[in-house]
Amino acid sequence: MPTISSEEIERALDAWGAQLVQKMSARDDEQWAIVGIVSHGDVLARRLVQKIEKAGHKALYGAIDITLYRDDLDLRGKRPALRSSHLPFSTDDLTLVLVDDVLSTGRTARAALEVLWEYGRPARVEFHCLTDRGGRQLPIHPDYVAFDLSASQTDKVQVRLNEIDGAEDITY
Amino acid sequence: MNPRKDLITIGALSDEDIRTILESTSAMKDIFTKSVKKVPALKGKSVLTLFYEPSTRTRSSFEVAAHRLSADVTTFTVSTSSVVKGESVHDTIDTLMSMKMDYIIVRHKNSGIPAVIARHCKAAVINAGDGSHAHPSQAFLDAFTIKEKYGEVAGKRVVIIGDILHSRVARSTSTILRRLGAEVAYMGPGPLVPPQQHTGIARFTNWDQIFEWKPDVIYLLRVQNERIDTPFFPAADYHQAFGVTEERLKRIDDLNMSIMHPGPVNRGVEICDAAMEYRNCLINNQVENGIAARMSILYHLTPQTQCHD
Amino acid sequence: MTNTYITNATWALTGEKIDLRMGHGDEPVSVFLNDIPLDGVNGVAPAGEMLIPEGARVIDADGKLVMPALFDLHTTINLEGHSKRESIYRAGQAANQGGVWGMLVMPSRGFIFDNAATLDSFDEAVSQRSFATMVPAGCISEGMAGEQQAPYNTLAARGVTILSDGGRMPTSLLMLHRAMKYAAAMDLTFAIRGDVPCLSEKTYMHPGTTSYNLGLHGTPACAEEIGIETLIRLAEDAGARLHIQTVSTAEGVNIIRRAKAKGMTSLTAEVALHHLLYTHENVGDYDTTFKTLPPLREQSDCEALLEGVKDGTIDCIVTDHTPCMPFAKKQDFVSAPQGMVALDTFLPAIYTHLILPGKLSWADVVRACSTAPAAIVNPYDQEEDVPVVAPLLLFDPAAEREVTPDSLYCGTLNSPLLGTVLRGSVTLPISR
Repeated sequence: MPTISSEEIERALDAWGAQLVQKMSARDDEQWAIVGIVSHGDVLARRLVQKIEKAGHKALYGAIDITLYRDDLDLRGKRPALRSSHLPFSTDDLTLVLVDDVLSTGRTARAALEVLWEYGRPARVEFHCLTDRGGRQLPIHPDYVAFDLSASQTDKVQVRLNEIDGAEDITY
Repeated sequence: MNPRKDLITIGALSDEDIRTILESTSAMKDIFTKSVKKVPALKGKSVLTLFYEPSTRTRSSFEVAAHRLSADVTTFTVSTSSVVKGESVHDTIDTLMSMKMDYIIVRHKNSGIPAVIARHCKAAVINAGDGSHAHPSQAFLDAFTIKEKYGEVAGKRVVIIGDILHSRVARSTSTILRRLGAEVAYMGPGPLVPPQQHTGIARFTNWDQIFEWKPDVIYLLRVQNERIDTPFFPAADYHQAFGVTEERLKRIDDLNMSIMHPGPVNRGVEICDAAMEYRNCLINNQVENGIAARMSILYHLTPQTQCHD
Repeated sequence: MTNTYITNATWALTGEKIDLRMGHGDEPVSVFLNDIPLDGVNGVAPAGEMLIPEGARVIDADGKLVMPALFDLHTTINLEGHSKRESIYRAGQAANQGGVWGMLVMPSRGFIFDNAATLDSFDEAVSQRSFATMVPAGCISEGMAGEQQAPYNTLAARGVTILSDGGRMPTSLLMLHRAMKYAAAMDLTFAIRGDVPCLSEKTYMHPGTTSYNLGLHGTPACAEEIGIETLIRLAEDAGARLHIQTVSTAEGVNIIRRAKAKGMTSLTAEVALHHLLYTHENVGDYDTTFKTLPPLREQSDCEALLEGVKDGTIDCIVTDHTPCMPFAKKQDFVSAPQGMVALDTFLPAIYTHLILPGKLSWADVVRACSTAPAAIVNPYDQEEDVPVVAPLLLFDPAAEREVTPDSLYCGTLNSPLLGTVLRGSVTLPISR
């Protein structure tokens, strides 16, 4: 199975952060927030916020658990565990960057959008993800993809991040 | 947690079930901070509250919990006077089956009724209090409240004071706290505290013993003498003998103990006025946590009505 | 009609191998073997020594036990929602299967034995429909309400020898005291379960860990014990015969033992089989099959009761057979009725759970389940003007049978033995 190393991930995150800083500079009248989808998107979002702050810009950090908004709760025998959401601000008039680790069907992103609207009315939302493995079932298109794996026809992408998995790589 | 249809007693749950429901309770509580205090998890599901015993608090708490999960709530009114002993429960079960409910929340004065309903219904049945048997959702909100206050339930000492004999709260709450590693003791009027060899729980008879034991939490039960035909103790004695009086409140304060109570409170009986304003009085936290705990319970149960049959 | 010969049978009380000649209608001669009157048996000899005429009917009973059939002193036969005749028929069939030839039928709904008409129609139905002898117990109080005395003279004239309000302690001790004084002259026996109703009302099982965990209020043992003591004092004072029903506690046994030691000869007592076999822990998670009256107690009580049976303090083991409709037992524990059925399985259950484990001997069982109870009731055939004595039964100890719903003739399924395997099977009547 092909693997993407932690060094490659780190380099990709640098480029991702730089791209965000560039966008923010171009629209410096907007207030930005980076919101990750638990359980991996929130880690990525925190790292991105650190990179943005290092570059002298400001962005709010948030994390959302979309489990209660899933459209497949009834199809699973067992209910998935819940994690805490952390969005200590109103999303009214913010520019939100929604961050996830793996984009595929687009159902997670749909649920995440529903969550965001319940915290206010954001001005604009972008969707960024670490990997895209293709297989979209909804009209969802990412604004930024770090690793486009859609050509590899894989049906499983595993992302591991140091903060929660104790190791870091992407296998697909 | 493994798919579980009903919640009848704490004793029937695995350690993992208890942990999962408690952990999700805090995620549910986050929902209250959103501007939209609602999630779509149980959208389209129907919840029935079936209370054979009046209880505005527990019923409202369950109803709010169900609403916040986007379920549709129906209140089944049972006029207790028309309930013919026993027979009507089976008739009611037939009616409930025809209504195709997903969740049934039931309270009854007879111990064991929710278990009978659960056996015969495909719906997930939640015991909202049966006789002197069990009140598991109260146990979860109590455990969560202690966990929230102290970060951990394990190692904490809790004394439950009052009518233990008739109390489903005492049974369920002591069970969950002990499963989570807390130490529990009982105290109350002699005829109302069963012997330790039946309960496995230390039995105190007065406040001096409590202060010597130094519990973290003083848990007061509601005095329900009005429900009992022949009183078990002289009511006029209660406050002086077993209640939190102002003097006792001072010592409770000195020792930094918390006070809990499942509500509704009889001021001047279990508890003096001043104690309601006490800095470590967790009674209002219990009410708020009750909604979150019940949301977590509703979320984690899986009715068999979802199997498409 | 020719004689039937039973050969190579083992006499249960002694283990001797014997041959028996079963008599026929014309010559009802009783012989006595080890003090047991054997009805219809006019010949008994060591195995192989009996002369058997050519062509006679012979039952080879090798490996089987022969013993007097059982008499049950405590049976309720009423089947809710069925006719009286059906109730009688079912109970009779069940009794024969369990080794019971006769029973004392407690008054119950549908069988309120407080007047001549009810007794007459009962006797008629029994003679038409029952496989077993059924002796009605007359009511102590009118309608079993515990307040007014029933007409004992009228009842006694119809053959009633035992008075009972279906086990219930009359609410008025004054009434009971007067009733005892009145009935003493007629040599009637009062069969009552010891109780103090106000101490046991709204209680559902024995107090202990199980009752605590289930949130069910406990029936204090002292309610029964105070009741027994009260009954003994009243009967002593009134000079009446007293039979204590379904003793369930160790202290209850002690009270009776003391009274008998003091010389109270008119006192007898019984224990229900289930109080020897089960404890309150069997209730488990609200198993209504184990809801009984009085409740199942502790292991130490079971042992004391068994000791009482062995030393004769407790005279009889009874079924306390109580049919409860499946619908009723399916209710919650608080609402469900008390009682178990036991007639169908009586002797096999005793054999499997008391004799095989060595807790009781065959001699104990014959005394406690056959001779003693029959002696208390003294069944009398009024038409023939002779006492009725126990027939014999054949018991095959090698047989094994699972108790299934189909195997219970009694009409309801509230038996804790359902689904279990019992050792031994009964043939009664023997020439079947």
